[in-house]
Amino acid sequence: MSHSAPGSNPVAALRHDLRTPVNHIVGYTEMLLEDLEGPGNDARRKTLETTLEAAREALKLISLVLAPTRDSVEPAEVSGLYHSLEVPQRRILDAVRTLLAAAGEVPNPTFAEDLRKIEAAAARLVPREAPPTAGAANAGAADAAGKARVLVVDDEAGNRDLLARRLQREGYAVLAAAGGREALELVAKEPVDVVLLDVMMPDLDGLAVLERLKADPASRDLPVIMISALDDLSAIANCIQAGALDYLPKPFEPVILRARLAASLAEKRFRDQERDLVRALGVVTAAAASVEAGAYQAGQLGDMAQRADAVGRLARVMDRMATEVGAREANLRGRLERLRTEIGVARQTREVVARNDEDALGAGETFAGRYRVESVLGRGGMGTVYKARDTELDEVVAIKTLRPELVVDDESRERFKDEIRLTRRITHRNVVRTHDFGEANGLWYITMEFVEGLTVRQLLDARGTLGVGSALAIGSQLAESLGVAHETGVIHRDIKPQNLLLDPEGVLKVMDFGVARLATGTAARHTQAGLIVGTPAYMSPEQLTGEEVDPRSDLYSVGVVLFELLTGRLPIDGATVMALFAKVLSEPAPRPGSLVAGVPPALDALVVQLLAKRPEDRVENAAVLLQRLQALA
Amino acid sequence: MPRILLVEDNEMNRDMLSRRLVRKGFEVDMAFDGKAGVDKARGGAYDLILMDMSLPEIDGWEATRQLRAAPETKAVPIIALTAHAMAGDREKALAAGCNDYDTKPIELDRLLGKMAALLPASGA
Repeated sequence: MSHSAPGSNPVAALRHDLRTPVNHIVGYTEMLLEDLEGPGNDARRKTLETTLEAAREALKLISLVLAPTRDSVEPAEVSGLYHSLEVPQRRILDAVRTLLAAAGEVPNPTFAEDLRKIEAAAARLVPREAPPTAGAANAGAADAAGKARVLVVDDEAGNRDLLARRLQREGYAVLAAAGGREALELVAKEPVDVVLLDVMMPDLDGLAVLERLKADPASRDLPVIMISALDDLSAIANCIQAGALDYLPKPFEPVILRARLAASLAEKRFRDQERDLVRALGVVTAAAASVEAGAYQAGQLGDMAQRADAVGRLARVMDRMATEVGAREANLRGRLERLRTEIGVARQTREVVARNDEDALGAGETFAGRYRVESVLGRGGMGTVYKARDTELDEVVAIKTLRPELVVDDESRERFKDEIRLTRRITHRNVVRTHDFGEANGLWYITMEFVEGLTVRQLLDARGTLGVGSALAIGSQLAESLGVAHETGVIHRDIKPQNLLLDPEGVLKVMDFGVARLATGTAARHTQAGLIVGTPAYMSPEQLTGEEVDPRSDLYSVGVVLFELLTGRLPIDGATVMALFAKVLSEPAPRPGSLVAGVPPALDALVVQLLAKRPEDRVENAAVLLQRLQALA
Repeated sequence: MPRILLVEDNEMNRDMLSRRLVRKGFEVDMAFDGKAGVDKARGGAYDLILMDMSLPEIDGWEATRQLRAAPETKAVPIIALTAHAMAGDREKALAAGCNDYDTKPIELDRLLGKMAALLPASGA
């Protein structure tokens, strides 16, 4: 915006400047998403959702570094922020360009134009004059022949030429400006090592030019030598105070000119080095933040790790540490391999789900005008899941039809829609993507990503127990998916082996995020109907008693799942739901290690902690759980 | 159909917000600076004014004061839009005569809620 801002607080001003383009990206993207409501636009909507996600990530980064509570910020933090913003910026630009390049019918005539606005806003996100993010020390602006570049600013042509010729003879490359504005323009677009600036000029005088140069972070460190008649001492004093490095009295004395220029250039080299170091530290700091966020990519530090100085050493240590984290993950992948073998074995014994009279849909039937039903995948408390082909997108999807008694009134339907809307925002490889919620022929249904694979339930039924390695592999992927969902504001509420799918690669996909919301809301008002929803054995005490649940309720369920994976049994079981109720509320869970051998004590303790009756006694959140599980892997 | 006057100097903000409001069933008129905003507001019968606070010519604070002083606009609800969630901005906006206040980035649903609260019930 041209009128940014309470200028008194530089952090607020920068935050404003950075947020403005992101706000534009969010606004236009949301608008385009509205345009793309309706069938046939899934692919484009998905691409736009990437844009929205990246923009939100950018907002998060901006408010993290430029928190409203701060009133000053280090240059290193700013360059680190720019560096981190390049990642979402790239994602946004890629998404927009993909959409622009894609052929096909556009939803409205301004579609491409609006995409270009998003593109333009994204391009503004990281300023072009942002410091380079990696690489060796900036060697200064010296030209190809190694000559230092001097900008001479003087309104009088005679002085300008004289000085220029003398400087050229001394071996400098010379640029000249006849006034203040021209000088500022030149500095903005040409590399300059030092400025010789006349004090008295008509349009914009030397002091004003100097103040502007010093106010702009890009030119703040550029050495400026004032040129002035000797009788102008007070003006010179003002300029020195405003940040001029030195002054040169008229008429010029060649020896003094040479000495002052040489000193200024040495000073500039020193400052450039200092700036480079600060910048490098900013990059390493940003990389440390991405290690913390689990987003570090090998080689992210690039040239930084090649540097011979202390920053290079720091970068190498960082990279090694981050790689070790990667190695632990590789270890986990090894365990997944074994899990895959187990899946392969279990698969051969898998029974085929036969058609049942309760099923609302039959194979070959076309549903909701676009889904051709292929087979039944499973049945549960909520309804039946089918494999179907989306004829519109020629894609295989899973359709879950909901038992009619779950969707009885507008209120529960609306709340459920809200939940599905939230759930659709979760994009993670460990989460089964939810596509849509709708109604056809009086039947409410949800469509979601189809995952070829087995549920952990099927695996457990086939194998009895899964052992420590597989339990950790499943547990950490589960923790990862919950971390993302909880951050989005979605609590699963029905974590159980039946809802955990393993694809043929051993990647865990958690399904039915948000679906249990429908059950809890409806059940509360329809208990008389005797409707049993959810799976009491996996529910936390607070969920069983119908209290408000928070993310830690899901962590309890993870505890039950881990217990079962390790021992093949439930931690607390009851012959009837009422008996289970009573025990879950009062009886402490046993250690898995008390039932089977070979459970590491730390894992034993972790499972027991997850199964604590009071949420505050459990692991505090999914991220911490993930760390603890990874530390065991 | 409620008539809204959107006073905003940033082209993208104006384009985006006006189009989204039109989709929600509002009739939207626009002014690009504070002075034009005041002139337009005094000339047309608007149900509500959305006023960016950092505007050229005269800023949103001053424009609001002028609108409050003029008999034909003194009762029109004004929602201030500011870029900074600064402590005291809300009080400042209310003191200048705004009826409510919202910060950018605009969350459309939140803004619509505030607008609905200020518009006559039959309007929307």
